[in-house]
Amino acid sequence: MTARPEIDERLLDEALTWYRALEQDDADWDAYTRWLEADPLHGKAFDEIALTGRIVDDHIADLQALKAAPAADPAEIRTVSRRKWLYGSVAAALALAVGIPALRQQQDVVYATARGETRHIALSQGIAADLSPSTRLVVKGGDPTKLEVARGDVYFAVAHDPGRALSIRAGEYVVSDIGTTFGLNLSAKAVAVAVAEGHVSVAGEGGEATRVSAGQQLIARRDDRSTRIRPVPAANVGSWRQGRLVYDNMPLNLVAADIARYSGKTITVDPAIGDRPFSGVLAIGDGSELLANLSDLMAISYEEKGDSVRIGAAAVR
Amino acid sequence: MQPDSSQGLEALYRIHRAALLRTLVARTGDAGEAEDILQEMWIRLRHASTFPIANGRAYLFRMAQNLLLDRLREKQRRMRRERIWLDNLAGDAGGGSERADGGPNAEEAMLDREEAARLASALATLPDGARRAFELHKIEGLSHAEVAMRLGISRSGVEKHMAVAMKYLRRALLD
Repeated sequence: MTARPEIDERLLDEALTWYRALEQDDADWDAYTRWLEADPLHGKAFDEIALTGRIVDDHIADLQALKAAPAADPAEIRTVSRRKWLYGSVAAALALAVGIPALRQQQDVVYATARGETRHIALSQGIAADLSPSTRLVVKGGDPTKLEVARGDVYFAVAHDPGRALSIRAGEYVVSDIGTTFGLNLSAKAVAVAVAEGHVSVAGEGGEATRVSAGQQLIARRDDRSTRIRPVPAANVGSWRQGRLVYDNMPLNLVAADIARYSGKTITVDPAIGDRPFSGVLAIGDGSELLANLSDLMAISYEEKGDSVRIGAAAVR
Repeated sequence: MQPDSSQGLEALYRIHRAALLRTLVARTGDAGEAEDILQEMWIRLRHASTFPIANGRAYLFRMAQNLLLDRLREKQRRMRRERIWLDNLAGDAGGGSERADGGPNAEEAMLDREEAARLASALATLPDGARRAFELHKIEGLSHAEVAMRLGISRSGVEKHMAVAMKYLRRALLD
């Protein structure tokens, strides 16, 4: 775990205890209220637990049907999903059991992380992905060789297999010819691919493929489709997994996009300084200090209004 | 106090209104929304013909919680609809067909199916103990004590399994 989640495990446990306590006839509503008043996050955590309970309750009939159907014996689903993560066939079995005609095997599978949350996913065929916070990885049609990073930063570890055609889409770019470990970061302004081991090919839509090798980082702008490659120490690739963001001459726009994901803020950068390079290390923590730390290391100023932040050049003093 | 006359309801509501409001404000962090929920509650109470007076205060609190939860659920479904819509927009190559013969009912049905499938696949990957406890309690309707007996574990063991299951499902269902 890198960043501390806003609603952490302890908070959820407290919320669960209250959720359970309020089911009793002699529930102490006053104590519950005092607990809520102690921290605004308590109410949020309780909301999430209560909402989860409601969703489950809304589908009890579906689950009972599923349980009754021999085809979808949970143990069987488990073995299948454990062994190969053949989500498609699991989904098909579920569709059958619950009587869901529209759930086809072509269904996309989406893995997403919230702010402050990271996730390790072992897809089949030796493909593993670490999702950083506020990230979305889509397995197109349930096929683990057709992936899309729809948002955020993913660290991939892929066993080399020349017989497999793995492709990962990110914005207007497609990464292919993969047998390696690398980081793939998609933000509004750019796609960044940093390779720690092996190599990958990156191609824009209809463009030529560029080969990126270990120790290299490719930054492809999404507006004018220009790309550039520069060196990156392998140890810095996916450094968010160790709780820090390491930058070497990274355009401010991209740094700001990372901070936006970790802090949950909407950040706009004055276009005049968006390409200004930043070098330095930021400790992620719970994400709330990142902006302040950045402004300590770089001549910028920022203005916060609720969840929106605007970064501009440092004010002249 | 007349237990099941509208006067009784009115009186009970008046007595507990301040406490209800305080709880709702603490829960939502939004005085306006808390007032809205109380307003809705009042309208429903006035149309309610019977009223379980045995524990009127608890009844009112529970009712307030349920109304709040209805709102949360509605909001969450709206957000999922928007997300699915955006996903289809982004993945126009294959995902667009779902909406072709749309209409609000078809969309709701699709949302339901999608949610049921998410829930079922999340359940399938739960750790064994948590999954069995969850199934016995939620799907087969056993009490925690009965689940404990069936699984040969303690009550607190059941609580722990349920907590694991709920936290796991929270992640799977709420992203």
